[in-house]
Amino acid sequence: MKSPVSAWRKQKTVRNSLGMYGEIISWTTISVAPPRFSYLTPYVVVLVQLQDNRKVYGQLVDVEQKDVKIGQKVTSILRKTAQATAEEVVEYGLKFELTD
Amino acid sequence: MKNNVIGYYSTKFGELWERSLDDLLREALHGVLAETQLEAAQIDAIFLGNMLGGIVERSLLLSAHISEILGTNIPVYRVESACASGGMAFQMANDYLKANSGKTVIVIGAEKMTDVSPGEITEALSAAASPEEQDAGLTFPGVYALMAQYYLAKYGYTEEHLASIAVKNHDHGALNEKAHFQRAIDLNQVLGSQYVAFPLKVLDSSPISDGAAAVIMTNVDTLINNHKSVQVLAAETATDTISLSKRENLDELKATRIAGDKAFQTAGIARSDVQVMEVHDCFSIAEIFALEDLGFWTKGQGGKLAKEMSTHINSGNNLIVNTSGGLKAAGHPVGGTGIKQIGEVYLQLTGQANKRQVNNVKHGLTHNVGGSGGVAVVSILGV
Repeated sequence: MKSPVSAWRKQKTVRNSLGMYGEIISWTTISVAPPRFSYLTPYVVVLVQLQDNRKVYGQLVDVEQKDVKIGQKVTSILRKTAQATAEEVVEYGLKFELTD
Repeated sequence: MKNNVIGYYSTKFGELWERSLDDLLREALHGVLAETQLEAAQIDAIFLGNMLGGIVERSLLLSAHISEILGTNIPVYRVESACASGGMAFQMANDYLKANSGKTVIVIGAEKMTDVSPGEITEALSAAASPEEQDAGLTFPGVYALMAQYYLAKYGYTEEHLASIAVKNHDHGALNEKAHFQRAIDLNQVLGSQYVAFPLKVLDSSPISDGAAAVIMTNVDTLINNHKSVQVLAAETATDTISLSKRENLDELKATRIAGDKAFQTAGIARSDVQVMEVHDCFSIAEIFALEDLGFWTKGQGGKLAKEMSTHINSGNNLIVNTSGGLKAAGHPVGGTGIKQIGEVYLQLTGQANKRQVNNVKHGLTHNVGGSGGVAVVSILGV
């Protein structure tokens, strides 16, 4: 179980990466996932270089695998990140969507 | 007075439902003592590579398990370095013997992985990925898939180039009576298998295996002379960032490059002197990276050479890779793999590799990776 304190600690820094543009450096589609992510499979995870040159990971939402390519522009957004049990904090974190 | 490996024993690798972690440790420890006709009382220390005992088996303090199994009170050091736990235990044992003359040690690697569900073992293994990677839902195959995808795009290769690695290693595994999978597979089977993390499929991936492997290493001259012995010319390790995102290049494992260069420098031999290698093919892409980053293939040429199966036992070439079947076919009980690699090279160098024996082998290399390249251990053995 993920501790509420560690979720609280992480959330303090997520905002620094929100609403930014970036470019896909590489990507994959996860078909076999750990239990807390299995409700999402298959899902796309991207490694993105942000406009400030930092490299970060996130899931790419509302997209089909055939439409994902290295070099595509994306925007960072806030989304629920994983399934929480009744005792756990629902975590929100960084995800991406394709930039129009 | 040099460090020598004087004997090797491995359990069968596979889904060993009748065996616990202690059972595997017991078989490998007694097995390697019987193989070398040594008594437990002749052993000065034991180095154990194990990754998941704490997470999957809820077993820590494995040193005391080994004390109980062997009935000894000698020091037992447990080393955790994810999938490189075995290689790292070997490297530490080598350093221990360099600092202590007249000593004999057992180096053992063991892992019990099949007692939990695929989802649970995937999560346990992903503990060797960075917190950011885990939080994004990246699995261990997922991290390698990011590297594979980048490599294929950069150098213009396809999934078929990757698949050739699995086909070759299954050909070799079919010759190894201890291997998890002892059957050949063809390209279409690999390409038709289910995706785990695109572009990597089930048959690009090493399996979840149980198993244990052990070697005895010594610097006692009489023991070296009385056994089929192989000299340890180098055992070197290097580290790198836990996150892929913090690395300069996605198409290499820098830790492999650094550990490999150090190992060749220490051993004082050339790459062309090596005839057999056991490299860390946890996924097909990883064997391509290994050959490139160890300096045997030019960066970017690996896809082409993999497809030509240039390191196949029947290739007629001077360098044969993963005669054991590699992680892919021999199986990958994570802590055990690094010791199995040493053992396979030991068998090759002492002419005991049976159906998969390569002729006139004088030098062999092992390459063991932890995580997505956060640790690499490269060892060179010679006769």
